[in-house]
Amino acid sequence: MLHLLLLIGLVAFSILAILIRDLLKSAISLAVASVFLAVLFFEMNAVYAGVFEVSVVAGLITVLFITAIALTRSDVDVVESRSHLIVFPLFFLVLAVIDILVMKRLLGRIPAMVNPESGTFAEVLWNQRTFDLVGQIGVIFAGVLSVLALFRPGEKDPGHESPTGDAALTGRQPRGGSHE
Amino acid sequence: MNNLWILNMGFAALLIGTGIYCLLTMKNTVKLLIGIEVIAKGVTLALVAGGFARNSLMLAQSLAITVIVVDVAVIATALALIININRHTKSLDVRKLTKLKG
Repeated sequence: MLHLLLLIGLVAFSILAILIRDLLKSAISLAVASVFLAVLFFEMNAVYAGVFEVSVVAGLITVLFITAIALTRSDVDVVESRSHLIVFPLFFLVLAVIDILVMKRLLGRIPAMVNPESGTFAEVLWNQRTFDLVGQIGVIFAGVLSVLALFRPGEKDPGHESPTGDAALTGRQPRGGSHE
Repeated sequence: MNNLWILNMGFAALLIGTGIYCLLTMKNTVKLLIGIEVIAKGVTLALVAGGFARNSLMLAQSLAITVIVVDVAVIATALALIININRHTKSLDVRKLTKLKG
């Protein structure tokens, strides 16, 4: 029963995150959905995935979203069509019906149980998935380098043409500045 | 155990479908990223649920962690792109990104 409630909470907050107009509330709904997913993982004894879900997805990604929302400003709000309030429930209903039909057919084809794994999580991660770890490190470095490239200083920003702002960014004093 | 697996997979499919709806219909770039995030949640849930059902939870967790790490890198890069685009277009509307349009 708890499992079902957690699943319903996860889907409900994910839908809220998509349908709410305010971006900040949307990001917070996404974080709450992540917490629900993490509790689900803990309930399924997937402790490490749960810890990652809470710390990285509910924590780090929410901070990234809120920072991005704070740094961006829109002169005109993006107007999403109001038809979502009618179209989305219909879409979700059709999706749920198809989902139930497919899952009913899958009920007889449960994946075969394998022998219980030997060893700890660290052994499985380091010994079996070594190549994945190398790939993860590569992806992290690629992400860091791309963010650094996108926020490269020194390029003139056409959107902000204020000389004092440029001077503040580059650390140079404007002409006729302070005399000691 | 079997019913739990079906239940988890069903809800994971709902999450992925909801995320795809968001990607197809929303115009706000931040909302599109939220859609990607919802899809990633569905995939992670499906991975861990599969591992739980097959009694190979450790392997499933390591794959889920890989998905989460890749997801973070994608979101960080995409948000940096959105901030840069917003400086130029002063908007978050995806329909205004037409510079490369032929």
